[in-house]
Amino acid sequence: MSAAPALQANVASERALTVSNLRAYYQTKYFGISREVRAVDGVSLVIDRDEIYGLAGESSCGKTTLVKTIVRAIRPPLNVIDGSVSFRFAGCEHDIYTLGEAELTGLRWKHLSYILQGSMNVLNPVRRVRESFIDFAYRHIKRPMPEFLRFVENHLARLRLDPAVLDNFPHELSGGMRQRVTIALASVCRPDFIVADEPTTALDVVVQKDVLGLLREVQREIRSSMILVTHDIGVHANVTDRLGVMYAGRLVEEGRTVEVIRSSRHPYTAHLVSSLPRIGDATQKKGLEGSPPNLAAPPPGCRFHPRCPLAMDVCRKEHPPMVVVAAEHRVACWATAPP
Amino acid sequence: MFAILRDLFRYKREFRVGAILTMFIAVFASLSFVSPYPPQDQFVVQPDLPPSWAYWFGTTSRGQDVFWQLSFAIRNTMLFGLAVAILSRIISIAIGMWSGYMGGFVDRVLMSINDTFIVIPLFPLLVLFYFVMRDKMSWPLLALAMALLGWAYDARLIRSLALSLKMREFTQQSVFSGMRTSEIVLQEHLPYVLPIVFYTTMNNMNWSVGLEVTLSVLGFTNIDTPTIGVMIYWANQHTALVAGIWWWIFFPVLFVVILFIGLFLLAISMNEYIDPRSRLARMGGMHG
Repeated sequence: MSAAPALQANVASERALTVSNLRAYYQTKYFGISREVRAVDGVSLVIDRDEIYGLAGESSCGKTTLVKTIVRAIRPPLNVIDGSVSFRFAGCEHDIYTLGEAELTGLRWKHLSYILQGSMNVLNPVRRVRESFIDFAYRHIKRPMPEFLRFVENHLARLRLDPAVLDNFPHELSGGMRQRVTIALASVCRPDFIVADEPTTALDVVVQKDVLGLLREVQREIRSSMILVTHDIGVHANVTDRLGVMYAGRLVEEGRTVEVIRSSRHPYTAHLVSSLPRIGDATQKKGLEGSPPNLAAPPPGCRFHPRCPLAMDVCRKEHPPMVVVAAEHRVACWATAPP
Repeated sequence: MFAILRDLFRYKREFRVGAILTMFIAVFASLSFVSPYPPQDQFVVQPDLPPSWAYWFGTTSRGQDVFWQLSFAIRNTMLFGLAVAILSRIISIAIGMWSGYMGGFVDRVLMSINDTFIVIPLFPLLVLFYFVMRDKMSWPLLALAMALLGWAYDARLIRSLALSLKMREFTQQSVFSGMRTSEIVLQEHLPYVLPIVFYTTMNNMNWSVGLEVTLSVLGFTNIDTPTIGVMIYWANQHTALVAGIWWWIFFPVLFVVILFIGLFLLAISMNEYIDPRSRLARMGGMHG
């Protein structure tokens, strides 16, 4: 019963990713006790070519699990229970969960790259940056080694990075520098789709601006699509075209970033946005009572209802469907967007 | 490789001292190849002579020149220690890294084998081994037995490292990039583990040579092949210390101590070359 009509999005532009009704649970079984953490529960979304899609939400709402599932970088206990993830590369559909290992490896880097959370640490500390490039990217660019290295150097130069970093060990670089090298590493094959999980979280705002600028530039140059995960609404406002807000493993609101921030419909989004400090605004920020639910035993009905100021009877019983409230704007809330 | 060794020799005191001591022992051991007497022959020289210009390290009560005996003994002991260390390193690296990386069922099986080897009492087992083998006993055989018994502690240590490496971001990135398990373990994780392996190699040689000396002193090895332990065994048999033939025990002990110190210094200075972080830490404010 999820949002089939909302998936129409923008018919004119080419679709890059279709996620439908994705469910991914952490399933563990110890001493006869089975536990199931529903980190991603019925998420559907589409992303177009040349679009930056933002994912927002507080910690433990399932953002990272969602993107891990989307790029199939999962390992037990995380399992995909239901749903499908389908990429469209060069006019060809690839359902990522029906591909074999070899085909998957063939897609990665060339078409789909993933900047991991804590990505400053994706470079092996005991290997030089050049060796990391060779380890990770060489197999995906089918060229002889000298040509590959020249290619990498050109790519770094294009991103205004000194190719001399190739001779450094990661610990010799600053955090921002490492982050930039990581972005260069992820984009070296000019992928059609980049998934960036918290690429700027550990950086101070000045470096953050640089790194975001770099990401944006890379994306513009290759005309790739991108998912950008961060809990920082300010970053979303600056960078992303569309924004999806997650709460407790579900997408609660989605639309053009400006619209979601300016006229948020879901009470959770409204709280998230109102928590942003504004220059000149000296009023005390009000926090939201409570914390996100335990995803091993989520509350029935709308998962936000225990903290929601607008909660009604129906919220406690039934999960609200995603409803289109305006062009490209969908919300799952009984109170503000009744079907 | 040559440049690395040359620079280490030039700029690192520990390496220089370690290399000189180890080379000294190695050269001394290689003298055994030009020994005028076969190692088993007795009463080739006058017994019980103190160190002199004719016999630098004196002679034994069995009529052997301590100098030439010792060259055979240190050679065999060195080869023995190396053989045990190399063989057991191979086992412990393979089992530790595989077990840590694979986890789950593989880990449980390998670690229960591992723990079995940790709790087995080694000494009685080796004595039993001697009584079973008896005349067929030789130092390569003993080295094999000790290598098969001496890997377990270090395999656990390496596994604990591999467990933490497995969770690191660069491992996830490697998996995402489509690297095979063997590539991840050998290319990405092994350089991390090597410094530890160097330390444990030293430790392991220390342990194996020490245990070999213990077994030999008690006569539980082939007492016809001279090793440091066998020399002390014969000195004991002839009550050398009571008779005042101190040089019979002093020189073997001195040389094995020099060997240990040399190898230890080599191990720690090599480690600093292999581990870029400690190399840079030593450089202090040089980088930035």
